[in-house]
Amino acid sequence: MSLRRPALVLALFLAFCGTASAEEETVSIGLVAPLTGDQAYIGIGVMQGAQMAVEEANIRGPVFGNAKLKLVPLDDQHNPTQAVLAANKLVSDPDVVAVVGHFNSSCTKPASAIYHEGRMAQVTPASTNPQISKQGFDTFFRLCATDDVQAPAAADFARSKLGAANIVILDDQTTYGKGLADEFEKYFKAAGGNVLRRDGITQGEKDFTPLLTKVKSVKPELIFYGGVYPELALLLKQSAKVGLTAPWMGGDGIYDPSLVRLAGPKLTEGIYSTMLGVDPHELPTAKDFVARYEARYGEIGSFSAYAYDSTNVLIEAIRRAGKKDREAILAEVRKTKDFPGILGPVNFNADGDAVGKSVGIFRVEGGKFKFLEEVKPKS
Amino acid sequence: MFGALRYHLGKSPLLQVAVYLGPFVLFPILDRNAYHVDVLTNVAIYVILAMGLNVVIGFAGLLNLGYAAFFAIGAYTYALLNLHTGCPFWAGLPAAGTVAMLFGFLIAVPSIRVRGDYLAITTLGFGEIVRILFNNLDTWTGGPNGLLGIDRPTFFGYRFSVSPVPYFYLALVLAAVIAYLLFRLSDSKIGRALVAIREDELAAKCMGVPALRIKLYAFGLSSFIAGLAGAVFASKQTIVTPDSFDFVLSVLILAMVVLGGMGNIWGSALGALVLGTLPEILRGFAGYRMLIFGLLMILMMIFRPQGMLGGALIRRELRPRHREPRDGPA
Amino acid sequence: MSAALELFLQQLFNGLTIGMVYALIALGYTMVYGVIQLINFAHGEVFMVGAFLGLSVLLAFGSLWAAAPLVVVLAAVFVVSVAGSAALGAAIERVAYKPLRGSPKLTALITSIGVSFFLQNAVMLIFGSKEQSVPDVLPPVFFQLGPVSLSLVQLVIFAVSLAFMVSLTWFVKNTRPGKAMRALAEDPDAARLMGISVDAMIRMTFVLGSALAAVAGSLFSLYYGSVNFHDGYLAGLKAFTAAVFGGIGSIPGAMLGGVLLGVFEALGAGYISSEWKDVFAFVLLGGVLIFKPSGLLGENLPEKV
Repeated sequence: MSLRRPALVLALFLAFCGTASAEEETVSIGLVAPLTGDQAYIGIGVMQGAQMAVEEANIRGPVFGNAKLKLVPLDDQHNPTQAVLAANKLVSDPDVVAVVGHFNSSCTKPASAIYHEGRMAQVTPASTNPQISKQGFDTFFRLCATDDVQAPAAADFARSKLGAANIVILDDQTTYGKGLADEFEKYFKAAGGNVLRRDGITQGEKDFTPLLTKVKSVKPELIFYGGVYPELALLLKQSAKVGLTAPWMGGDGIYDPSLVRLAGPKLTEGIYSTMLGVDPHELPTAKDFVARYEARYGEIGSFSAYAYDSTNVLIEAIRRAGKKDREAILAEVRKTKDFPGILGPVNFNADGDAVGKSVGIFRVEGGKFKFLEEVKPKS
Repeated sequence: MFGALRYHLGKSPLLQVAVYLGPFVLFPILDRNAYHVDVLTNVAIYVILAMGLNVVIGFAGLLNLGYAAFFAIGAYTYALLNLHTGCPFWAGLPAAGTVAMLFGFLIAVPSIRVRGDYLAITTLGFGEIVRILFNNLDTWTGGPNGLLGIDRPTFFGYRFSVSPVPYFYLALVLAAVIAYLLFRLSDSKIGRALVAIREDELAAKCMGVPALRIKLYAFGLSSFIAGLAGAVFASKQTIVTPDSFDFVLSVLILAMVVLGGMGNIWGSALGALVLGTLPEILRGFAGYRMLIFGLLMILMMIFRPQGMLGGALIRRELRPRHREPRDGPA
Repeated sequence: MSAALELFLQQLFNGLTIGMVYALIALGYTMVYGVIQLINFAHGEVFMVGAFLGLSVLLAFGSLWAAAPLVVVLAAVFVVSVAGSAALGAAIERVAYKPLRGSPKLTALITSIGVSFFLQNAVMLIFGSKEQSVPDVLPPVFFQLGPVSLSLVQLVIFAVSLAFMVSLTWFVKNTRPGKAMRALAEDPDAARLMGISVDAMIRMTFVLGSALAAVAGSLFSLYYGSVNFHDGYLAGLKAFTAAVFGGIGSIPGAMLGGVLLGVFEALGAGYISSEWKDVFAFVLLGGVLIFKPSGLLGENLPEKV
């Protein structure tokens, strides 16, 4: 929808009222996530986290001069093409100076090329695929841990703590899912484990009974799934129909209360999951944010806190840059040092990855994800 | 005064193209909003696709429900050539058209003998097969994540960037050229043969029209056009993923041709303009998109099957052939 | 019995299960095509609506269904979905296809695509675009049939589908309206001369086909545990493949085609790869249409001069 008409009316109105804010400068931060479709729940959680950061900043006062921060949320429907279209839109918008996004690695990766072309700082709160930061884009930053921390943590846990020796690995063929599964396989085998079968599903597919029957026939001790929660819910339901009872394990993509909502507490009982960082409910620095978020929006999304920190890193960079200029703001993001995020201090390394982000291991018990232990990155 | 203008327009396709498409050249200059230009660029690509599909549906009377597949083949051809051999856009463009055309022939040869409604389903099946192939052959096509980092075109040293403006002109010029060529075709021997086949294939064959061959040409040409559009699309997006080329897109292009008037070149362009801009104007109604298209097709077929600009000939062909006799006392 | 053979039989039964569902849907396509030579694109959506109606019944019951006997719950699901879909099928025929009788087939085909899209979108607007979880009404109870373990769901599917298919066959063979329908399919003019009401017969064909599709929809949603507005498109296309494969216009052909397609799909997914499952169906479709349009049990309908 064109913003010109309402903007014009608003401008006239303000002029008429003679409000003192002569020429407020709009400084926009883009936010791209899956806002519709099956991952909408988690995407909207990301958007709301970012929204809170922007609103709180505006209440504190202008970041510089008479700048007013604005969040521009766009929907990429976890679709790489839509992601690129959204990135195009943001880069073409002169008001947008930086972006928090995207959520899925399959979207963040192609979009990062566009932001690089547009010289716009991009911070992703959730994309874990390690390849994205290796593309050599100086505009790319990441606030969460990567799969080369998540995968070995998961593999190690499965091998030593769960004692699993013969397993099956499935993935959803996306950049994230396949990447995570590949990494997990590598580390699991290195730890002496045996992968009985490696198979893939397509996102949006429905009939998994032949596949699950196949899996059942090899009698795995554990099934590792690289993918997101909507498909896992279907897999769980159909596993019960086929009589497959092996325990499941997944990565951060399945860590969402929606999994329990879709598949029910009975089928999800005992599922293991890694997640980036620990539960924000437990962190003293995050408790306040969680309370504020839940008072306003209800149940907190798994990545809302990450989005909040990502947005605040950008806001701080905008404040230090002191002007509405993408290159200047980009330079300030690079210089981020010990930024006090609610999930811990934020520092970026040369590739744009966050330093010191850990991974947590969880287990679903009674319909809730229960924290088991934390795994710190080796470096 | 207008009488004279209409007379000259009717005589010269070149003039028509200049008069109807010429003014759009000014659009990016008058409207600086990048978003608006982007929408019209997409419309221009739709125009090319609709005109291409019209060759098969409107000229030849063959229902192709898998048109998106040829669009996809063109896009992926350019993408693969570019990513593997560094092939520049201007070479990739004809290559994309040619490869799509070859697949058009491939599909047409066995199916062209098939009955009308069966042909529709066969082409639909082909469309789905192509999409699934692109989705599953990940080592070659990148799977569901697609192919990224496709090069943008360079024009005499000027490299296209994120801005849609150069793409707009590219698509506009391409559409103009294709429109002109299609007008020349419709007025030629082949064009008239196509109409004869569409009206009554058996009669045409009896009169010596090499129906099979002509239908093949029509299929090949329409696929070629889709391939060209695909290359332009790929170079604009810099990424191609299989889900951009689904059945919904095939139906959308069909709706554009039907709405504008089957068989009418400017009709297809008009249909593309209307259905391409409608979703943007009705942003709030995004969820109702398919509902409206569906309703549109139903109403069109019942009340005005010749579309907006379709002529009397098409109307006669599409109307019920005879009135069904009423049931007598049971 | 070797493990490999066990696996094969298990996959076979998986295929038979989904094959019965395809067969039920295919019957609708074949009957309509037999009577008015129309590929009813919207039939897949009637199937999908049936599934959603069944889901609505289950959701309406709420926690009650845990207490109510299984038979009552299933009966309610079937009754509501059949009634709803049958009404929908009749409405579609009246509104979209009847005005076009006598028009070239392509016109009606385009209309049916329009109806399909309209319905898909309508359901999406009502229920949302996400996958809807279906309550697990049937407990995961398993029965051992030799080396194969069948779930309760699968048994229900077999039993219900078989019952409906047998009923339909009996209806078409032995009752007056059934015979009238067959007469209409064979020779519409002669049928009219014999005093058969064409309008009523066509309507009945749609109603019957839609009812079967609704049953298929409810069974489908119970089997997979979830429904989505897009399910009708794929299932519809596959069922149409099955109908053509078995011989379009032939009722036993549709049943045979459905079951065979289900089995081939399951074996293909089990032994080759589940990714290519859908391609298999489409390639079969193309092959049959191009090389043997009469299918397995059908007759060749030549185009008249």
